[in-house]
Amino acid sequence: MSSDPEFDGVSPLTEAKKSRVLMVGAGGIGCELLKNLVLTGFGETHIVDLDTIDLSNLNRQFLFRQEHIKKSKALVATEAAQKFNPNVKIVPYHANIKDPQFNIEWFSSFRIVFNALDNLEARRHVNKMCLAANVPLIESGTTGFNGQVQVIKKGVTACYDCTAKETPKSFPVCTIRSTPSQPIHCIVWGKSYLLNEIFGTSEDESAFDHTTDADNAKEIEELKRESEALRSIRQSVGTPEFSEALFQKVFNTDIVRLRSMEDMWKSRKPPEPLDYKVLMEKASNLDKEAVVEDQQKVWTLEENLIVFNDSLDRLSKRVMESKAAGQDAVITFDKDDEDTLDFVAASANIRSTLFGIDRKSKFDIKQMAGNIIPAIATTNAIVAGLCVLEAFKVLKGQYSQAKEIFLTPFATQRLLGSDKAREPNPACPVCSSFQIRSLVDFSKATLNDFVEDFVKEELGYGEKEFAISTEVGIIYDPDETDNLEKKLSELGIKSDSFLTITDEDDELVNVVVALSESKEPLEDKPVKGIFSSEKKIEIPAKPKQPATETNGAASDSPPLVVSLTKPTDGVTPAKRSHPDSEEGIAKKVKTIAAGADEEGDIVIVDDAPLDAGGSSSEGAIVIDD
Amino acid sequence: MGSTLCQNRLIEERKQWRKDHPFGFWAKPQKNPQGVLDMKVWECAIPGKKDTIWEGGQFKLHITFPDEYPTKPPKCKFVPPLFHPNVYPSGTVCLSILNEEEAWKPAITLKQILLGVQDLLNDPNPESPAQAEAYNLFKKDRAEYERRIKRIVRENAAP
Repeated sequence: MSSDPEFDGVSPLTEAKKSRVLMVGAGGIGCELLKNLVLTGFGETHIVDLDTIDLSNLNRQFLFRQEHIKKSKALVATEAAQKFNPNVKIVPYHANIKDPQFNIEWFSSFRIVFNALDNLEARRHVNKMCLAANVPLIESGTTGFNGQVQVIKKGVTACYDCTAKETPKSFPVCTIRSTPSQPIHCIVWGKSYLLNEIFGTSEDESAFDHTTDADNAKEIEELKRESEALRSIRQSVGTPEFSEALFQKVFNTDIVRLRSMEDMWKSRKPPEPLDYKVLMEKASNLDKEAVVEDQQKVWTLEENLIVFNDSLDRLSKRVMESKAAGQDAVITFDKDDEDTLDFVAASANIRSTLFGIDRKSKFDIKQMAGNIIPAIATTNAIVAGLCVLEAFKVLKGQYSQAKEIFLTPFATQRLLGSDKAREPNPACPVCSSFQIRSLVDFSKATLNDFVEDFVKEELGYGEKEFAISTEVGIIYDPDETDNLEKKLSELGIKSDSFLTITDEDDELVNVVVALSESKEPLEDKPVKGIFSSEKKIEIPAKPKQPATETNGAASDSPPLVVSLTKPTDGVTPAKRSHPDSEEGIAKKVKTIAAGADEEGDIVIVDDAPLDAGGSSSEGAIVIDD
Repeated sequence: MGSTLCQNRLIEERKQWRKDHPFGFWAKPQKNPQGVLDMKVWECAIPGKKDTIWEGGQFKLHITFPDEYPTKPPKCKFVPPLFHPNVYPSGTVCLSILNEEEAWKPAITLKQILLGVQDLLNDPNPESPAQAEAYNLFKKDRAEYERRIKRIVRENAAP
């Protein structure tokens, strides 16, 4: 970019100098992007990030150094990048982008918003705010060697939610507790169940308290005994019998009990209980230090026992020390906490062994338990560069030139594949709705005022039936009228809240109303729309959809990316189900980090302006836009 | 807060249910202290099927929808826990259409879920025991099992 090319009389570099932009996230992509924005000469860049700097960031988040650990990313990034170009203004916020200070009005003060985020929730929030404020958003993400950039402009291109996102995998509780068949099942068991039961906060107690039924008494009694057994083992932390008691319970008693449910093992191999004393005899001559050191080796059963005992000793010691100091003795899993990792690795491997599943090395288990996807500095840098190139098109108003770009180094032909920006999905749950704003006098306005004055009269719903909901749920529908006399504020609705109006007859699209506190008292009515013109507003009709008899709901959903995995090795009986999964496991199996939520590997390569020159190995990228 | 997709779908489910639902069933989102219907937790009731030992009973069920619904299935839990081979001691129902890895599909409606759970009452799946007591009785002493069910039905009589 040696020259300042002009297009249609608009120079993007001149425009950039005049632009006030927002960058959300100052991590992997953020550091690279901030450098680009500052060196390109964007006049004013605001940065929001709630995170502080961690040691593991330093290999790629190059604005940060050792001495910055635990400091605010937004602040340190600003300080570092300011030196690159003293002529631009950078404004950092060490804050959550969802904070109320960042309202629609604030968003609409920016020319462009850049997302440099690592999670679905924040991405969705910024997407929604940018649509409401009608500000163009440049969305980006990377996963390992893959990356993606997308331009989002209300009504012009597809928004972030126009396509369904993949959700992280979770495991049914039965698979974890009773019938594991893969190493990951045993790793999740060690990490989310066993470690928690012994060193974390047990969840069992709350589950059974609401029963008074005589018929359940016996089963409840059994469960009480079961959890008491574990609790009494938990009590013995720090005593010499502790390791053996725990081992016998989870690798012997529980396994014997499990085997007794004969039907479960009709089509599966039943697990083989282990005996502590027998195993210990074989393990007695092993060198503890040497075993624990070797992270790459797949430990034998005996070696795992050594690590199991050793990690239990270390964890117990920590518990005793915390207790002695009068502190909270809870330990939770952290992949970088060697003691918890050793415990999880060893217990997972022992469990795998008795179920006839392959054992894994500690190194592999760390990756699997920690959901580690390597973050690659180069990927971030390429994606951040593409963000600026797309921003130029936005500055020129050339949305027709905007591309959705995929960085896929393992695709056969090219490093970068680009596709014409997609059009908005007419069934998108977010951007297909009609968006308006209204002023509210929160000291007075009741739900009835909103229904009568605003929805029925101003929006013209008249006698139509409709439902109104907040982000929590429905506050009004034809059968739910108890709230009408309440003030909006009593229903938890305040300035910058959104209300959704759903047409009961499915004729009109959803209307999303962004409420703002009126600065001056409203004269006649406490709720009043903000409309750009005096013309009567027209709410668009819903696109026609195939009629379904019993199931209107399904047709409302956009095409879902649902991978219905087939039961492995055909052992899963037809009705078997394990719906307890959310109770513990889903929560704890963390979302696969950093931008793992892209649509995956749909790569459409066209020959349009953005051209990856030659093969990916040559790597020359020619931009002849 | 869940995704907008999740929320929209649950609003649609509420609408469909209000317009039409099978006789003897009941389903409504729980009210939070402010009076808002919390779409993520529904209170439901399932009647025992006609011409089965469950006839005349009505059983309370809580359905909890995850943020990822309808990609992921909801969780159904009898409150209080029900004596049944495929109901966990915590009350959670074990059924293929409620399992992401098996028969769950995003198109499955609330009505279909409740009818599915009703079917399960009289047609337990011995391949997939969830509580030892009901399972063992069902397998080993069917007469006593049926007596127990009839007693439970009397104690949970439909209004």
